[in-house]
This record gives sequence, C-alpha cells and structure tokens, in this order.
Amino acid sequence: MLSPGYVARRVLHALVVLAVVAVVTFFIVRLAPGGPAALADPALRDAERAVIEARLGLNDPLPVQFLKFVGNAVRGDLGQSFLFGTPTTQVIASRLGNTLILAGAALTLTLLVAVPLGTLSGLRPHSWLDRLVSFISVVVLAVPVFWLGLILIIALAVLRPVLPAGGMYTTGMEGNLVDLLRHLLLPAVVLASASIAELLRYTRSSVRSAAKLDHVRTARAKGLPQRTVHVRHVLKNALIPVVTVIGLQLPRLVGGAAVTETIFAWPGMGRLSVEAALGRDYPLILGVTLVVAAAVVLFNLLIDLVYPLIDPRIRTDG
Amino acid sequence: MKRTLMTLGLALAAGLAGAQSNILQLPLINDPILNPLIAPDLGSILVNKVLFPGLVRPDENLQPVPDLAKSWTVTNGGLVYTFALRDDVRWHDGKPFTADDVVYTFKTAADPKSGSRLASDFSSIKSVEARGKYTVRFTLSRPFAPFLILLGHNAGILPKHLLEGKDLSSNTAFNRQLPIGTGPFKVSRVVPGASVTLEANKDYYGAAPKLAGITFKVVPDLNTQVAQLRSGQLDWVTLEPSNLASVQNVPNIAIKQANAVQHYLVFFNLKNPLFTAPKVREAMQYAVNRKAIIDGILKGYADYPTGTIPTALRTYYDKSIKPITYNPAQALKLLAQAGWKPNARGTLVNAKGEPFKFTLIVDKGNATREQSALAVQQDLKKIGMDVTLQTLEFGTLVRDYLIPGKYDANLIWWTTPPDPDQYSFYATGQDNNEASWSNARADSLLKRGRETVDPVARKNIYNAYQRLTMQDPPVLVLYYPKELQAISKDLTGVPDLGIRDALRYTERFQLR
Repeated sequence: MLSPGYVARRVLHALVVLAVVAVVTFFIVRLAPGGPAALADPALRDAERAVIEARLGLNDPLPVQFLKFVGNAVRGDLGQSFLFGTPTTQVIASRLGNTLILAGAALTLTLLVAVPLGTLSGLRPHSWLDRLVSFISVVVLAVPVFWLGLILIIALAVLRPVLPAGGMYTTGMEGNLVDLLRHLLLPAVVLASASIAELLRYTRSSVRSAAKLDHVRTARAKGLPQRTVHVRHVLKNALIPVVTVIGLQLPRLVGGAAVTETIFAWPGMGRLSVEAALGRDYPLILGVTLVVAAAVVLFNLLIDLVYPLIDPRIRTDG
Repeated sequence: MKRTLMTLGLALAAGLAGAQSNILQLPLINDPILNPLIAPDLGSILVNKVLFPGLVRPDENLQPVPDLAKSWTVTNGGLVYTFALRDDVRWHDGKPFTADDVVYTFKTAADPKSGSRLASDFSSIKSVEARGKYTVRFTLSRPFAPFLILLGHNAGILPKHLLEGKDLSSNTAFNRQLPIGTGPFKVSRVVPGASVTLEANKDYYGAAPKLAGITFKVVPDLNTQVAQLRSGQLDWVTLEPSNLASVQNVPNIAIKQANAVQHYLVFFNLKNPLFTAPKVREAMQYAVNRKAIIDGILKGYADYPTGTIPTALRTYYDKSIKPITYNPAQALKLLAQAGWKPNARGTLVNAKGEPFKFTLIVDKGNATREQSALAVQQDLKKIGMDVTLQTLEFGTLVRDYLIPGKYDANLIWWTTPPDPDQYSFYATGQDNNEASWSNARADSLLKRGRETVDPVARKNIYNAYQRLTMQDPPVLVLYYPKELQAISKDLTGVPDLGIRDALRYTERFQLR
C-alpha cells in the first residue's frame, strides 16, 4: 500500500512546504507594523534603543538577517526568542506538551460525543433527539468561546466553587494527575464544545445521505438486520467526510487554542503564539508557525493513509 | 465502572482543599525577567521587588529609608554619597553580601552597553568604589537630587559572584530559572508560562517573613484574575475602573486605592504648526471636560490635574495653584486670539480658511484609554475642531508613530519615579520629550530642580515649573490615576503604597 516512491514524494513535498512557510513568515513578520516588545517602551532613550536593536540582530540589513537565519535554520537553530531569551525550540517544547494534553482531551471528548450523537441523529432525522441535538449544537456554535469560558468559570469556580478558575496545576501539586484533571475539565469542555457542534452536524448529514444510497436499500431489502445495515453499509460510507473534518481539527493539537488558553491561563501553544505575535518575537513566531505547519503536513499524510482503510476505492499510489 | 466514576468525581471535588495555606498568590500577565537591571515591565518589577532589595526603600511618604544600607552621608555639595552597608546580609545561595556587590551592580547599571535599562537613571555616577568591606562611596559628576529616590526605585542589588563577566541579557539560567537575591523570599521553582514560586528566606536580614511563601501565577486575562480572586486562587489584583463592579460588595474582598506616580496626557506634536502657539494648547485645557472623564470613565479614581507633576508627589505638588476647569467659551476666546475662529458651519478655521484638523492616536485594547480618547475627540469637536480618532496596537503606535514623530496628537501616559525630576520628559531636545516642547525658562527650572539638593529650594523650583506649564502647557494632562487594588481581606500587614513599592515589604505581609 505504501510504495517508497509515494513516501519520498510526500516527504519532499513536506520539505518544500516548510521552506516556503519559513521564508514567507520571515518576511511577513518583519513587514508587520511595530516591532519587538522590548522596543515598544516610549521611555527608552535613543542609546538604549540602539543597544537592544543590536542585541536582537535587527540593525543588520534585511537580506543579511535572512541569510543568517537560513544559515542557522539548516543547522536546526531557530534562534533565541526575543521575549524569553532562551532558544526558540526550548520555549516551544515547554508548551507543546501542555497543548497536547488540552487539545487531546478536547478531541477525545469531541469524538466520544459527536460521532455517536451525530449518527443517531442522522439515522433518525426529525426525531425529538435529532431536534434537541440540532438545537443545542446551533446554540453552541453561536456562542463565543471566551463568553462560554467566563460563564463556566463564574458558575463552577466562583458561585459554586467545585473547580479551579484556570491554571494547569495548583501550585505545589505539579504532576498530580487528579489536580491536572480538575484543571483540565472546564477548558477541555469549552474547547470541545464548538468542534463537537461542528463535527456532529457533519456526521449527521453524512449519515443521512449515506442512509439513502441504493445499496443500503438493497441491504434492507435483502432482510439484513438493522444493526448490520447501519454499521456495515451506512456508517462506513458516512465516515469519509467525518474523517476529513477530524483531520482539519487535528492541527489544533499542536497549534493550541489562543482564546481558551488565555481565559483559562493554560500555558499552551495558542497563548504562546499570541504572545509571540503581539510582542513581535520574530524567531518565536517563526518557530511556532513551522511547528504548526509541520503538524498540518503530517496530519494530512496520516488522514490520506486512513482513507484507503475505510474505502478501498481510494488508493495512495495513484 | 460506576464506582470508578464516583471515586473520580469525589476526588475532583475534594481536591480544592489541596491548596497550601499561608502562601500569598499574586497574578502576572506573562513570564517575568528575574533581574532588576534589564526588566522594565511591571510584572517583572513586582517579582524583583521581592527578590532584590536595594540600598534604600521608599516609606509611605515615598521618601528613602535604610534597606541594605544602614545609613548614609551626603557631602561635597551633593556630589559624594557614602553608604554604610549592613554586615549581616547573605545572598540566597549563602554567600555573604559585601560592598563589591554594590560596586558591581552600579557599574553595570550605569553602562548602557551592558543592556541595563537603568543607565539613564544612573548616568550621573562618575565613580563608585568600595571603601572596605561594608562601605560604598558614589561620586557624581554633577549634583543629582533624585539619586536617593532612584536607588530605592528599581535598583535592586545583584550578586557579583554569580554575574561578573557574564552578559546580562543572555544569562537565562539566572534571569529565568534561579535568580539569587537578598530579599525575604527566594525562588524555589519556575514553571514557564504558569508560575514563579517563592519560599521564605530563613536567613533574611530584616524581620522574619510571616508568610511561608509567595506564588506569582501567570493569568493573562484580567476577567480570569478577578474570578480567581473571588474563588480564593489569588489574593491581590490590580484593576481597571471598568472591572470595579465585579468585585464590589464581595464579602471577602476589600477595594483600596493607592497613589500612582503617573500622569495621563495627550501629546500635541509641536512640529505640526497647528499646535505651536501656547494659546492653542492652553485652550485645549478649557475645551476638554476632564472632570467628566475622571467621573465617568475612571469612576472617580483619579485626581484632577494641574500640570505634569502628579498629586502623588505630595512634597512637591503645589495645591495652591488653581486648576483650569472646563470652559468651552474660554477655549474659543483663546483660540480666536491665536487666529482660529468658527466659520458659518461652526468649524474652526484660520485666516486662510483652513480647518483645524488633526488625528488623535491611542493604543488599542485598553478600555479606559480608548474611552478617554473618544471623550477628548468629542469635546474638541464641540468647539469646531475636526478630530479623527485612530486606534493602533501599542508597539506600532510607539515605534512607527510616536518615536519618529509621525503623529499629530497621541493619548498616552508616563510612569515616573517618585521624584519631580522631569528633565528627560520636558526639557528641550530630550529623548522622551516626544512633543518636542521647548521653553527656555522650563529648561532652566528643570535643570536647577535636579541639581538642587535643599528640599525647600527644590520645592520652590518645581512650583514655579508647575505654574509655568499652566500658561505654556507642554502636553494636555488629562488626569493622575489612582492604582485600584482588590485585596483579599485575609491579607494584612500591607503598607499604604502602590503594589510595586508595597512588595518591598512582603516580610510584613500576613494571611489569616
């Protein structure tokens, strides 16, 4: 199924994508108005400003900066973060795991809720369950994430203090699994809510159209049991678009979710990228962008490999 | 399965009691830089105030009192400062603190090439030398009255034995993970993006700390900070007036206001001929309803301004000067004297018929400042000025508009040390004089003010300066804000100071 030529082509493709992303990002961030946070202080004297610019390597002409960047990048050195003073890769590594936990929990929650509910709704359109689920998902899609997050914090951390209002651990309890789960619950629910609603609606419509296909009618006519028809003939056909939607949500696992992470003070990649962008931390913006781009490429590949497992008509070596 | 779920649920609900007691919890909005010489942002300053005492610290009147220095003498007409240091101080790593550390700190601080952000504060130092193990002598190149105040402002003393010969900015092991100071609390753990945990320093030279520790938690969103304050996950939050409602009448939270040495202002770019006539800038003070801004937008948590020296500087502020109050008719009269008269449609025009038209810029995202800018725009429109409001990201505003002087008017603020010396802000040609204001008499007053050591003579100089700026205003001062604090009632022992100075007294803090 996986020919060496196919793999080589995909890897080459991935490298080209990453190189283009790096070059475009490098110039775009430098063309953006403003500049690094360290220079955004109006109280700075001109001499202090010059020292900071020299330290950040911003006094070189742009082409020189670019060549230096390329030279270091091919050796795996993405430079020092302006904001943190530590290597970019180190800053990203310290946040990536936290985002994997949050986004992973949210994704699991999404799959566990959206696929079964969406399937049931799709199989029984216009039933009370379907109407209720549709109503709730439309409401959730319409509600802004920051609002939902704050309402949940007020309800469950302030008015009825059963859960903590943000953070990843209680200080001094780092690494404690129960403490982590307590902190994880609210942000994971908030992060999952919108994607549940989205995936649920895709699953529902996909199941509905699959249930109307000719071969499903044939299967029913043959007198196959309801269960077999649903699982083997409807669900399997309905899964392709569902897997695509899941694939589109996967990059969040590394990119993080800026709003949710900010509201819940979760030290993840989403908040890091916002900090980097607002502080014009050029090396860090580049590093985050590259990591997310690499993830998108990788997840696309994974999804492409999953398709033939669901639908044998799709082939990878074509 | 059911039992497992129940156990998990119980564990989740019970975990709340797991928080440790007697630990003060304070918010930050991002990871701090734990070195006072290179960290100008407020969050870093707060942590560094706890970790790195200076030679002196400000008392509740913002006057310097002994800290690492036991006593000092000022000789040679204010040119020589000699400090006797405490001989019982140890660094957090156990090494003794000596005069060499002080010499190292100020040689580095005064050198802009070191990356120091305090270089301009200490540019008056000609030499600093150790005279024995516990005596330090500073010789200044010219008398510099704010010197003692600046020593107690941001100049925490650094350990020579750990930092000498190393580049300040790239020393991340010290700046980000394990700083060593002499303060009442020392860093025990840093979790990037999440928290900085401090524990009591048993070898602290002053009164033994009453708290077991302090945790600074990174909570970027102010609404979440307030929620955490209400749920007991934080003990002290500084607020914007717009957040006030969410903490009022909460049983365990007290609202306090502290004086802030700040003035909020509008720069009028004097390179633009519109604003060069002093009468025009005087008229602005009548045209803008500053009382309405203070009452409406700041909910009363600000003082009405007279000039650029804020009321927080009690010793120097002249209360007898009558403030200019809202009076649009007077504004129009002054503008007419400067050649601007309303035309048939009510627009202010000059003799050539050109309208009084400019753009006011303000930074995006802070409700108080955005609303204040809107109020200024509306008030100026009422007297016939054509004002466009533009919001910009703060960094962009500063770097692309303010510093290169490519703007007409800008609403912004200055936070100054607790001293009236405003030479670098308002003297001719200084880097921070962004409006390019120039007044020969003000230059001479500001220069004499920073060189005069006698307090009474100094007060007279600044009062004269304050009076002068009522007629030829360098900027339009809008208000002197108060620092608005929401504090858990369990926290006691906090001095009556703004949070940054109060945090130098953490050894006195107590949690019930």
